[in-house]
Amino acid sequence: MTRTNGKVPGGPVLSVEDLAVAYKIRGGEIEAVQDVTFDIQRGEAHGIVGESGCGKSTVTWAILNFLGANGYVKRGSIKFLGQELVGRSGEELRRLRGDQIAMVYQDPMQALNPSMRLGDQMKEVLTVHRGLSDKEAEKRCISMLERVYMPDAANVMHRFPHQISGGQQQRVVIAMALLNNPALLIMDEPTTALDVTVEAAVLDLIAELRRDFDTGILFISHNLGVVARVCNKVGVMYAGEMVEVALTEDIYKDPQHPYTQGLIRCVPKLGSDKASSTLYPIRGRVPPPNNRPPGCVYGPRCDYVRDHCREARPELRTLPNSVQVRCHYAEEIDPSQWQPSEDILPPKIRQNGDQEEYIIQVKDLKKYYEVQGSSLKDVIGMGEPRYVKAVENASFNVPKGKTLGIVGESGCGKSTLIKTIIGLEDSTSGEAQFLGLDITGDLTTRTEQLIQELQMVFQNPDSTMNPSYTVGQQIARPMLRFGTVPKNQVREEVVKLLNLMRLGANYFDRLPRQLSGGEKQRVGIARALASRPDLVLCDEPVSALDVSVQAAVLNLLLEVQAEYGTTMIFIAHDLSVVRFFSDYVAVMYLGQIMEIGPADAIYALPYHPYTEALLSAVPIPDPSAKQKRIRLEGSVPSAISPPSGCRFNTRCPRRHLLPDGGKICETETPPWQEDERGHRIFCHIPRETLLTFEPVIQTKERAV
Amino acid sequence: MLVKDVMTRHPIMVPPEMSAAEAEHIMTENLIRHLPVVGDGKKLVGLVTRQRFALKPDTMASLNVWEITRYLSNLTVQKIMLSAKAGEVYSIDSNRTVEQAARVMTEHKIGCLPVLDDDVVVGILSEIDLLRSLQEMLGLPTRGVRVTMRMPNKKGQFAALTTALSQHNLGIMGIGSFPTPRQPGFYDMVLKIPEVSMEQVREILSQVPEQEIVDIHEE
Repeated sequence: MTRTNGKVPGGPVLSVEDLAVAYKIRGGEIEAVQDVTFDIQRGEAHGIVGESGCGKSTVTWAILNFLGANGYVKRGSIKFLGQELVGRSGEELRRLRGDQIAMVYQDPMQALNPSMRLGDQMKEVLTVHRGLSDKEAEKRCISMLERVYMPDAANVMHRFPHQISGGQQQRVVIAMALLNNPALLIMDEPTTALDVTVEAAVLDLIAELRRDFDTGILFISHNLGVVARVCNKVGVMYAGEMVEVALTEDIYKDPQHPYTQGLIRCVPKLGSDKASSTLYPIRGRVPPPNNRPPGCVYGPRCDYVRDHCREARPELRTLPNSVQVRCHYAEEIDPSQWQPSEDILPPKIRQNGDQEEYIIQVKDLKKYYEVQGSSLKDVIGMGEPRYVKAVENASFNVPKGKTLGIVGESGCGKSTLIKTIIGLEDSTSGEAQFLGLDITGDLTTRTEQLIQELQMVFQNPDSTMNPSYTVGQQIARPMLRFGTVPKNQVREEVVKLLNLMRLGANYFDRLPRQLSGGEKQRVGIARALASRPDLVLCDEPVSALDVSVQAAVLNLLLEVQAEYGTTMIFIAHDLSVVRFFSDYVAVMYLGQIMEIGPADAIYALPYHPYTEALLSAVPIPDPSAKQKRIRLEGSVPSAISPPSGCRFNTRCPRRHLLPDGGKICETETPPWQEDERGHRIFCHIPRETLLTFEPVIQTKERAV
Repeated sequence: MLVKDVMTRHPIMVPPEMSAAEAEHIMTENLIRHLPVVGDGKKLVGLVTRQRFALKPDTMASLNVWEITRYLSNLTVQKIMLSAKAGEVYSIDSNRTVEQAARVMTEHKIGCLPVLDDDVVVGILSEIDLLRSLQEMLGLPTRGVRVTMRMPNKKGQFAALTTALSQHNLGIMGIGSFPTPRQPGFYDMVLKIPEVSMEQVREILSQVPEQEIVDIHEE
């Protein structure tokens, strides 16, 4: 049944008005959140997006009164089902909220008790809040697990959290949150820790539950694509303020606030590449709450800033098209006329021709890990050795100065593959040559010069830097170690690198804790470049970063590549980023490369069925785009005993296209089907049939 | 159409210990006329309606200003509500049909029914919800031709009507029927037909044998 209009009887589930949250600190207090106003109707999903440090989570903590000992709601009101939450005592709040507000957080493992069986944890919700009998509670838990599409629900009740996968854990958390039929569900980055295929399934589930239970959802995410998929209304937060609130279609089609426009420009569109499009980061960064500028908080980063913006703080006002925006000049700004200012102008990409010279050649590379069995036979060493086949027959070549992107779900062997290349692991068999030198062994077998030529950028800059070394020392270390630079010129060289990273010489003596996440990652890149390597391996270098910082780091890597002609192998789970950044792309599944070729060929027909499923799961920041909905059943099989024939056969949605329901997929290893451009697909389905599929994504401009 | 499809989910609810003044404030502020009272685990305890706030004049008359204040401040929801335990509240299961709910409400002349699943309040069904479902049943939000056909109470009449429409590639987006008042043996059927002109509908439906067009509207 459709609602006749936006006005829903009974008033909003949650209504937040002029909320200001302050934290007491030594010598005063800081207002982390100011003047936030929004409301959520029954059955509505309200998204909040913004960079980290904008106060998104603080808003949810204020609703739940989780602000901690030094935080409090300074002004404004939070009304839940018409009743004021601010200024109530703990006991009153507990009764008021009772079982009516539920939460789902980013990491499902932290929300579940690792030492209790899942069934017991779930039943507790019902036996404590509702006083149901154990048997009745069990029955309801199982039906709720089935509702969230948990395979084998009755059995899952007897398992411990570590015995199910991450996506399943998040399903349990969502099922648990819904057991009491809450009026409001608060989700703080619920899918950020999940794989793109699992994420897509969880997002589908959230959208469906919202319809069925009429639950209001407050959905927090930094990912614009995810928000576009679930929410019908979006609020954009910047530096503790709500700068724009609008319907989802409006915000992506016609963003009003310069910050929203900037955020959308930061994200690579699926299907765009580095030659035809550019990413524009937002210059500067979010001001800390104790040092916000007077006037408009976004003023210092805004391209349209005028004197009036520096003096008067804009109010959140409603435009004629019912979009709320906090900008003095929203009507006058036309984003199509926008020109990037000089300091964020990305580097010109040199197309350094099609060099046929391969810098790295890998053929049939295998990496097996032996697993220790637990039976007595295994303990005394009589058992059959078993192996995790982490990488199976990987073959690829990367030309000099080009980038190979590797995508795939977690556990598919992406990281193992590059660890084997860099020498952190030795390979089991196969050939791998770097500039003609054999690199199949681990580090101990390599010469210092070889080690110098291969460097790596890691995902999490925090855990890869020594916290007690200054930035300068960290970058200088590889230079001294490999002797690439004479000792007396090291400082000069480090400063040169820092400048290239747009950090400046004053960063030389800083410690890692004095840097922001994006700056740390730049130092990580500078360190990898310090030894002037020919090949840089990047393992998810931007996935821990905010979108605007991600755009800046990607631009920087492109600049480095243009400057030094460095070859890169780039791992990321974000398919739009990989498409944007790479010349060649390899798609991996369960240790096996399924499809490899030039980037544009991977993202266009013909697809390998697995690539097709991956593409259909990518969240697209464009609500008008049509996307085919393919969801893989089940989870990735164990790499100890991978399925016979094609490894993807147990989950392949296309095998019915072959005779006998794809019997051949189980019995025979598929052939490599190659075209003249070097695009190879590892599948039994003939190329001609693969070509007849519909494109996965159709936007107004182009089909991907 | 079942109660659970029509009801308002997640209604505002209050505990029995809340003061009556606060409950009154919540009702006024949120423009609602019924307030389910729930205990632990959202179990139904009672119901507060507007009328329950009308205090008896004879109670008040014997009190002076100070006593009135004290009386009011001690007045809790528990004291003024219709009690579920005493059987004063009619409620309905969420899987019952809408018409059964409407019948309970008309029979007892009441304005709302708390909706329960095993004693737990999952929603509330008020007159307004039923009126909204009536609109939607007859396809109000979308524009089209609304026509009332009178037909004898015989088998095959509705089939004749839909056949006539389908031959002209027309669909029905809202439908309802009721016995013709004061004319036993006949039924009136209301249809909402989108994307068509009134004249066209009149022409097609006047061809249906044994039936007549009682009323035709464009809205």
